[in-house]
Amino acid sequence: MMFNTIIEPFRIKSVEAIRFTTREEREAALLAAGNNVFSLHAEDVVIDLLTDSGTGAMSAAQWAAIMQGDESYAGSRSFFRFQRVVQELTGFKHIIPTHQGRAAERIIFHSMLQSGDLVLNNTHFDTTRANIEVEGAEARDLVIAEGRIPSFDHPFKGNVDLEALERTLESEGDRVRLVMATVTNNSGGGQPVSLENLRGIRDIAHRHGKLFFLDACRFAENAWFIKMREPGQSHRSPKEIAQEMFSLADGCTMSAKKDGLANIGGFLALNDDAMAEKCRTLLILTEGFPTYGGLAGYDLEAIAQGLEEVVQEDYLRYRIRSIEYLAEKLRNAGVPIVWPSGGHAVYIDAREMLPHIAPLQYPGVALTNALYLEAGIRACEIGTVMFGLHPDGTETAAPMDLVRLAIPRRLYTQSHIDYVAEAILAVYAQRDAIAPLRITSAPTVLRHFTAQFEAMAPESAMT
Amino acid sequence: MSQDPTNATARRSWAEPYKIKMVELLKMTTRAERQLALQEAGYNTFLLRSDDVYIDLLTDSGTNAMSDRQWSGLMMGDEAYAGSRNFYRLESTIQQYYGYRYVVPTHQGRGAENLISQILIKPGTFVPGNMYFTTTRLHQELNGATFVDVIIDEAHDSESLFPFKGNVDLDKFRALIERVGAEKIPYISVAATVNMAGGQPISMENLRAVSELAYQHGIKVILDATRAIENAWFIKQREPGYQQTSIASILREMCLYSDGATMSGKKDLLVNIGGFLALNDWDVFEEARNLVVVFEGLHTYGGLAGRDMEAMAIGIEEAVSEEHIRARVGQVEYLGEKLVAAGIPIVRPVGGHAIFLDAKRFLPHIPQDEYPAQTLAAELYLESGVRAMERGIVSAGRNAATGDHHRPKLELVRLTIPRRVYTQAHMDVTAESIMDLFARRESITGMRMIYEPKYLRFFQARFEPLVPAAAAPAPAEHVGNDHAAEAIG
Repeated sequence: MMFNTIIEPFRIKSVEAIRFTTREEREAALLAAGNNVFSLHAEDVVIDLLTDSGTGAMSAAQWAAIMQGDESYAGSRSFFRFQRVVQELTGFKHIIPTHQGRAAERIIFHSMLQSGDLVLNNTHFDTTRANIEVEGAEARDLVIAEGRIPSFDHPFKGNVDLEALERTLESEGDRVRLVMATVTNNSGGGQPVSLENLRGIRDIAHRHGKLFFLDACRFAENAWFIKMREPGQSHRSPKEIAQEMFSLADGCTMSAKKDGLANIGGFLALNDDAMAEKCRTLLILTEGFPTYGGLAGYDLEAIAQGLEEVVQEDYLRYRIRSIEYLAEKLRNAGVPIVWPSGGHAVYIDAREMLPHIAPLQYPGVALTNALYLEAGIRACEIGTVMFGLHPDGTETAAPMDLVRLAIPRRLYTQSHIDYVAEAILAVYAQRDAIAPLRITSAPTVLRHFTAQFEAMAPESAMT
Repeated sequence: MSQDPTNATARRSWAEPYKIKMVELLKMTTRAERQLALQEAGYNTFLLRSDDVYIDLLTDSGTNAMSDRQWSGLMMGDEAYAGSRNFYRLESTIQQYYGYRYVVPTHQGRGAENLISQILIKPGTFVPGNMYFTTTRLHQELNGATFVDVIIDEAHDSESLFPFKGNVDLDKFRALIERVGAEKIPYISVAATVNMAGGQPISMENLRAVSELAYQHGIKVILDATRAIENAWFIKQREPGYQQTSIASILREMCLYSDGATMSGKKDLLVNIGGFLALNDWDVFEEARNLVVVFEGLHTYGGLAGRDMEAMAIGIEEAVSEEHIRARVGQVEYLGEKLVAAGIPIVRPVGGHAIFLDAKRFLPHIPQDEYPAQTLAAELYLESGVRAMERGIVSAGRNAATGDHHRPKLELVRLTIPRRVYTQAHMDVTAESIMDLFARRESITGMRMIYEPKYLRFFQARFEPLVPAAAAPAPAEHVGNDHAAEAIG
């Protein structure tokens, strides 16, 4: 028989105590953090859904691998294990470790981009966009229209709009240096890209003589969606599917803090010899020697082991199902969320849930703060604060104002998730009382990390 | 015990203040295996696989053995992306022991160098320093500054016994200020100890004078604090007035004379990964905090796992203990004294983290353009499986304007001792291997470079012997460096 309950394919080996807080304590903590949950001390958080990046629980096998780290500066055997595993998975010729994903992005963009260049992607994530804009280049999103409508049901909402890609390459092809696909599409709700779409991107990019790279942070979750949803793929293993995804690209950037099941680390992988040499030169300057890339030997071991665990079917079934479980609870209670749910997070549509707060009054941050005050849950705004400020200093509404509840891998149990659902429903019931916000101070780049906010008087809210 | 019998004033034992908790097995190789491995590595020890190395003295960076307390710290990692409690512990520990107000963690030292160079340097400026270090100088140059060496002349003399060969020559610093103007000097970069000079310390008196001169002219002082605790030990040993002062107090005072510090935790702080930038100036800190998100990670983790910050905080507390630092430097001195007693030319006095073989005196028959230090490092590996590092003409790179080699006075092979990893027996084996090599030094011939990367070439350059290994003739029979020049093109 088919069971409804998805049992975790592991048991707990080691625990970390959670500290519970009172509402008064949380009010004081949030005030001290300038009403920005990024500035909270982690100890003041009960359930931390800020990100799934680097926050997962490692397995006993990964901890054992950590004990086997070879800390030699050059030629460490941990590197050779890491290289073998990544090569077998991705098929790329050059494997360049980095301390995390953004370093891989910075190195490839700095090696490749000039001022005025254009990079195309389904949706660029925050650090990706920042690393492109730092080079004076433009990051343009070409996700399909369905991917921009939170409630629209579509199996592959992360797909690139191939017509728009073709059009852009025809009209502005000389500016385009790189075509990318982010799997899964994080900013669009953790939505997958189909194999068919990846093939289409590859064909178009190559026809125009452009390189095609994957932002592969959540490649395994994407592979699972392909297995579940794409015709003709259900009999294949997630690993086979992932291998095909990589085989369609010329290279990838990867944050091992997601589907590497590690707490730190990343890599850049590519086939082109000349570009790999350029990247390694830059790597040595800012990251470390090519056989450690700014990671301890023990981290390389943990990533190698993690990449082998992450493509296991039992793991992926549990992983994706546990996200769905939270999403279904919220949806059944009428909370507006991105649907279908993505691979690593549930996204609440804050703009729809809080219609009395205009986008430039930051409904995403307002909802995030309400959730923290209610139950000590830390979520993350993915909306106008993250994406609304442009390099020229102007500010516009982002396409969506979402609140992301990112679920760390293997960290929380079903009862934690039940608690989260209850808390969200309680906030949903009192949503009209949530106040709009204004920014009191913010840096000009990646402002969402350190901006400070204050609540506006209720009468200044949009009616 | 194996104390050097020729040394009448032998120190009391430097016996380690720890016992072994966990071991890592070593592989023994044959000479034939090493010959093959060396050929595959292009005669560059950086390109050897660590599995083929017996005693790895390539670097003391990140190769330390952590303590059981640090390993427990790894289990106490709070991997929250923002506001991890490990960050707050690290921050307050750095504030306590180094004394700076603000802390930005980075994944390692070069991450901190990258930040400070980008923030403080404008194109066309000059950064003086007590001798260059490879990555530090490159960060300065890529941001448009010219590095100016203002170390005292004794530093370039491998036989001078001056106790503080890392000192800044104040006259050279003053002359630079007069020549280019103080407004063209954003900061002076002061290393303690000075790696490229042989791990030589700077005195407290000199540090104080450097900062007075700098502040008179509105120039900032940035300390490279990577091995500042080893430097503090030398101050305690050698500088009048500090014999009764604790290492922790000396460290605090050293930091007092600077506006900030770049730090690689992979050295003094006994960890395998990690670093930080520490600052007193709020504006510089704020810029660093915004920039670190782009390059390293959010400012409460800086590209480190929470557990790594915890291990580094514990490492600081262990590193400043007198017993630790005595054994640390004592082990380096032990190897140094053995070599000196056998007549091996090394840089003296012995520095804090490494023994530097003087390749020019070891292999006087090999001209500098045939890479005597690179050759010596390769031969040492072949002889015994000991891996050392070239610190000479290859590491110095090329003059950006003329394209010619920089030809440093010091042509050295560094035998870097990882902290708490190797025993006295390992040091004995190393010394014996070097003595064997010294006995047959005249049969060693030079090399040519057959692949040269543009930046930091020493990491990945490849070489081949001028004379094939099997048929090496007497050293007098080969001369000139035309081949080398041709091969590089």
